[in-house]
Amino acid sequence: MIDFLLEIGFEEFPPAFLSKAANELSDKVVGLLNRERIFHRSVRTIYTPRRIGVLVLGLTRRQKPKVVEIQGPPKRLAFDERSQPTQMLKGFMKANDLKRSQIAVRKVKKGEYVCGKKEVIGANSEDILFEEIPKILKTLEFPRTMIWTKGGAKFPRPIRWIVALLDRRPLKFTFAGVRADRHSIGNQHFSFKSIRLEKPREYINLLRHGGVVVDPNERRKLIVKRIKKAVEKTEGKPFYTNEMIEEINCTTEYPEAVVAGFDEQYLDLPEEVLSTVLKNQGNLIWLKPTHRFVCVFSAKKKALQNVRKGYTLVVGSKLYDALFYYKNDSKQGLARMEAQTKRMMWLKGLGSLYDKAIRLSDFADFFKGLPELNLDILKRAARLCKVDLLSEMIRENDFTSLQGIMGGHYAKASGEDTAVVSAIKEHYLPKFAGDKMPSTKEGVVLSIIDKIDNIVGAFLSGNRPSGSYDPLAVRRNGYAVVNLINTNSFDITLFNAVKALLKLYKKDIENKILFEFFTERCNRYLQDKKYRYDEINAVFARWKGDIVDACMRCAALKTMRGKAEFTKLVIGQKRVRNIVKNVKGLGKVSTELFKRSAERKLYKKGMETDEQLNALFESRDYQQILDLLLAMRPDIDKFFDDVLVMCEDEKLKKNRLALVSLINRIFLRFGDLSKIVIEGEKN
Amino acid sequence: MKKLRTFENIILDLSKYWQKKGCLLYQPYNSEVGAGTFNPATFIRVLDNKPWNVCYVEICKRPRDGRYAENPLRFQQFYQLQVIMQPAPHDIQRFFLESLEYVGFKLKEHEVRFVEGDWDAPTLGAWGLGWEVWLDGLEITQFTYFQQAGGLELEEIPVELSYGLERIAMLLQGVESVFDLKWNNTLTWGDVYRQNEIEFSEYNFSAADTRLLVSLFNQYEAEAVRLFEKGLPLPGYDYTIKCSHIFNVLEARGAISISERVKMIARVRALASQVAQLYRQKISEQSVLKKGVKR
Repeated sequence: MIDFLLEIGFEEFPPAFLSKAANELSDKVVGLLNRERIFHRSVRTIYTPRRIGVLVLGLTRRQKPKVVEIQGPPKRLAFDERSQPTQMLKGFMKANDLKRSQIAVRKVKKGEYVCGKKEVIGANSEDILFEEIPKILKTLEFPRTMIWTKGGAKFPRPIRWIVALLDRRPLKFTFAGVRADRHSIGNQHFSFKSIRLEKPREYINLLRHGGVVVDPNERRKLIVKRIKKAVEKTEGKPFYTNEMIEEINCTTEYPEAVVAGFDEQYLDLPEEVLSTVLKNQGNLIWLKPTHRFVCVFSAKKKALQNVRKGYTLVVGSKLYDALFYYKNDSKQGLARMEAQTKRMMWLKGLGSLYDKAIRLSDFADFFKGLPELNLDILKRAARLCKVDLLSEMIRENDFTSLQGIMGGHYAKASGEDTAVVSAIKEHYLPKFAGDKMPSTKEGVVLSIIDKIDNIVGAFLSGNRPSGSYDPLAVRRNGYAVVNLINTNSFDITLFNAVKALLKLYKKDIENKILFEFFTERCNRYLQDKKYRYDEINAVFARWKGDIVDACMRCAALKTMRGKAEFTKLVIGQKRVRNIVKNVKGLGKVSTELFKRSAERKLYKKGMETDEQLNALFESRDYQQILDLLLAMRPDIDKFFDDVLVMCEDEKLKKNRLALVSLINRIFLRFGDLSKIVIEGEKN
Repeated sequence: MKKLRTFENIILDLSKYWQKKGCLLYQPYNSEVGAGTFNPATFIRVLDNKPWNVCYVEICKRPRDGRYAENPLRFQQFYQLQVIMQPAPHDIQRFFLESLEYVGFKLKEHEVRFVEGDWDAPTLGAWGLGWEVWLDGLEITQFTYFQQAGGLELEEIPVELSYGLERIAMLLQGVESVFDLKWNNTLTWGDVYRQNEIEFSEYNFSAADTRLLVSLFNQYEAEAVRLFEKGLPLPGYDYTIKCSHIFNVLEARGAISISERVKMIARVRALASQVAQLYRQKISEQSVLKKGVKR
């Protein structure tokens, strides 16, 4: 058994995709080993800001042997009349180095053939890794890359060293202009000297000596431990998320922690401002509610004093700025900022931010029927929600992420109703998939209104998304709208909302483009809810933009899908639809033209079902609706068994088609179940 | 006694370090710029795709950053030490860390952090990847591998180091306000620049004549275009720089809306990319000519 270490060393890697890169590398190395039949006992994924790698212990020196079969000549040409090998067979055996005991006659499709069977000794693991590892490195994918030498390789940051060590031997391949060898580099704040590795098993300890904890899990635990230790004698509770810890993990090779503080006057700033400043300054961890914070840093312990001093200074300066903006904004007041929105253009050709606010407020009327919604609050919040874009705070890059939140604070300071304040604060939510939702009804509706307006505005101003082009992030906005409506069970027909908004714009655009956009977004949303594409297609065949309803219909289909009746139901509509799919211009069904009892029975069943469905659609009991539709199946089958639809008598034929079409329309009240894909499709 | 590291000595030491690494010692440009990148010794030379190592101090003006001399860390004019090494040496990160040691930091007693920073200069159509370098949390340098300038791809990838000299000097001297920074043994930074900070903050935030500036912007832009038509990218570039600075003042003055802002940036960028294209075209024609003469 031998061990293998691969380490790619680079200048500091972007933390956002470091762990993903490391996992991709280790997955691909494991994939290679499995594919090449190289046994291995354990695998450790390595990453720090300056390296990704994989440490594989207990590999076999060679591939596992493999039995190969080689097809030779047909039996009739392989042996002569005395059953002795012909020249042809001898040639085949010689060419493939086969002994008599290794060949046999086997029946294949084309007849009887001679087959050779032999065990091939596995290749050296070393040769395979030497060949294949550079190929794997070429296939790694990153969101953003650069070049650092003329015509050179692309990678997120310059690669400066590679370790590829198989037991005691370096695999000296070249990648990105760098020769792999046995020399790693430690924490360069400790030493510039390289670390010579005799064998992979030394790696973790030697690097630890060099100031690097290479195992990300170990480092993560160490970070949390250091934080706990640092705050032992301090008041306040460390306020951090797992994401913050992981980001620290991706920017630290050897974590230490120290407590520092800021002037207590800054505690007057809104909490969100404080946590934004601290987070932006290298994920500093606030000890709430005090004026202290923890800084996790990557250096020797003796740097502690300087680090405390430095971060105290820089945080103080940032907070000074924040307070400077905050005071100026508060002095200016909401009313003056609102007046300024008249001079701030929103999107080309679509007026100012002020115009947008008026439009949002008018659009709010469309939502007035919603339960527990205070329309006055909503309209007031709509008028004020964009005002903070004129504030000094939001215009500063460091604080742009606080848009809405600052607007809320300034509204509160101007004496606005607390419900108005919360709606303004929360109307950008959710900002990304999985983000939190606004907590009040008015906040939710304002978020919906604003986002629909962003989308329609984008389409009207030539910023329609296509391919990877989506400058105003309308896809994200659209998804959020669907999510907000469904999560809050709002009884809203999206298409009508869009129509109402377009009226306010007084601009010409084909509704259809927007409807398609929202349908696609809703489709995406339902797919993320794990509904199958064919269930969604079935429901969307008759969709008017009611998202909650679409979800309920999909849910009903999904519930039924597990059961045996499901196929029966689907085939029911398929049979019906197949007959009438290309037929047009059918009149009403005339009962006098019925000749067979199956016709009469089906008609009667259809009419009854249609009648019963009315109440069920009213109460949206889709489970029951599907049961009722299913109950038509015996009569449908009997009809097709007994009645020839395409008969010679034109009148009868037309009447029968009209009957089938009527039944199809009853199904369509729910959706087009013929779009459901059934395995094997029979029954 | 420990030698006091004066502001001027730090500048001399850093320059000396990079001179030893083979950099030509250049000088600041004679026009208002927001960063050393605007100096033709950077913007024009990186378009050459030829070896070019240079080091110079740049006087950078950032009108929005003025705080009437009230914020100890924010000021509208500061010194950058700009280093360009083209192509970027393999050991550049080590050179950089050594340069910090050279001016007096004992790095073992500090934290140096390379914080991801995708750098771009929208008015120059230039971008690169690299880091903000933080020393004990304070940003002291921008470290960037250029990828594009004037909208053109670069081949010999240059590395740019832009040291914030005041920040570095403050850390070395252990002072918490730039105004207390010892420039030499008798004068502080505040003695030299305090009044300048107050007056320019006043100018940038309230006194600047926006109408005049808008009109100058238009005229300078037109002049740049006229010079391009005459095949003169370098004089045209001077007017591009002037447009960029006027834009910065207008922005600080709060005189432009978000959408106007985008438009003005695009206009300056258009000038910069014309400079780049025209310049590249001229040097390639000249190199063809030279080869002809040799024969």
